[in-house]
Amino acid sequence: MKEKPAGADDRALIERIRLGDQDGAGELFERYAPALLRFADRLLSDRMLAEEVTQEVFVKVITRAHQYDGRAEVSSWLFAIAANACRDRRRRDRRANVVPLEAVPEPTSRGEGIEARLLSHERRAAVREALNALSEEQREALVLARYHGLPYSEIAGVLGISVGAVKTRIFRAVETLKARFHEGETSWNAAN
Amino acid sequence: MECRELTALALDGKLADSPGPIREKVAAHAERCSACRAQLLALEDTWGRLGEDPDLPLTPEFRRRTMALLEDEMLRARIREFVPPSRRWMRPLLEAAAVVVALVAGFAAARQIGPPASGRTASKTASAASLPENLEKAGALANVSYRPADPQGRIGVTFDVTSRETFLGRPDDPQMARLVAFLVSRGAQTAGEKSRAIDLVSAHYGLKESPASPDIVLALTNTLKKDQNPGVRKKAADALAGFRMTPEIRAAFLDALRTDRHPGVRLVAVEALAAAAKDSPDQKTIESLREKAFDPAENGFVRAKAASALKGIEF
Ligand SMILES: [Zn+2]
Repeated sequence: MKEKPAGADDRALIERIRLGDQDGAGELFERYAPALLRFADRLLSDRMLAEEVTQEVFVKVITRAHQYDGRAEVSSWLFAIAANACRDRRRRDRRANVVPLEAVPEPTSRGEGIEARLLSHERRAAVREALNALSEEQREALVLARYHGLPYSEIAGVLGISVGAVKTRIFRAVETLKARFHEGETSWNAAN
Repeated sequence: MECRELTALALDGKLADSPGPIREKVAAHAERCSACRAQLLALEDTWGRLGEDPDLPLTPEFRRRTMALLEDEMLRARIREFVPPSRRWMRPLLEAAAVVVALVAGFAAARQIGPPASGRTASKTASAASLPENLEKAGALANVSYRPADPQGRIGVTFDVTSRETFLGRPDDPQMARLVAFLVSRGAQTAGEKSRAIDLVSAHYGLKESPASPDIVLALTNTLKKDQNPGVRKKAADALAGFRMTPEIRAAFLDALRTDRHPGVRLVAVEALAAAAKDSPDQKTIESLREKAFDPAENGFVRAKAASALKGIEF
């Protein structure tokens, strides 16, 4: 899924918001809220916090619209605000890195047998747990690359780091995940 | 192609998008290099597994709640725009609004306060003690302006009734307090005017300054309760948060927390109640905070603030 539509369009939206146009804020919300919510959810693994962060991003856009200088993509700006807000949240309430099960929404699984459903639920929970186990830095970079399709140069812009650092973080993240998934698989098979 | 290049390419997640010749090279390399083959498979598997993590859907309830919040924020942004801290209070627009009661505030001490020049008649200065007995019946106060504290600590309030009058008095002078309370509470004023009157209170009354009179507290709690404009209500809440907590103020905050439509106002209420409860926890405050912390319909900021406030209160 691509979250980078025409930049000029986005900039025009920010300008409208700056001028107090309510519909402009609504359009920006429709365009980016789903992605920002998913982003925050994967960083925080908590629906309420993710919603809170998403709201915070848009509130900040409204109060800081005049500060947006148009150099970065609007999407980068929004992701950067969201990443910061997520870091704040994590710092504020250092919760244990467990996935509350309700944080992993159940897709409609009509026709699936209960065992298959349990299995897929288990697998999904394992993915989320693996994400949770990454360092904050690795997770941010990986999520932007894997789930939002951002090119490394843009990830670098969002996180305020070099492209080289982005690559390193993603490389390490993938290494960790690889080991983890493999280990999970073994124990799952062994359990059967 | 080297192993290193292949890894870099694969990690970029761009293998699938890369041009045919490159993909062919990768395939050829993987064919003869078992290490890279294993690496590629593992990578593909990892990338694929990550795809099993479902996207959190945006609920209609969240959309509705957020749109309401943004609407309020836009409104507040506009209020901020309309009432800048000090700089533009002498806008020609205001000066021209002869019929509109213009309340002009400026607290920068260096700034010379003056009313709009046109139609200005003789100007009198009097002590606040000589305020008309019945302010409400004094007629429409027009062109209200404020003067920062002079060396004796007296602030000034100037307005037109029949002629231009200035009243001087220390903030703790009961007559001055009465005048200030009147300025906050009087009807028929714009959000900007009301905001500036509340700014005057915030600037001169509070814990470190003069304690606010019951009149002023009442004017602010009424504003918090009844004003239509969320920006004005939040301003009143902010001003009250600067006072020593009293049962009246606590009741007003509890009420705002329960009923105010604007999360920004509720947030100030949570903060003020929590700060006071730290010193002397009271049952009602704790109950309200608890309710808010677990209310799924409540705004995320407010909920989080209530939860962390509870943690900070000793039971
Ligand atoms: Zn190789």
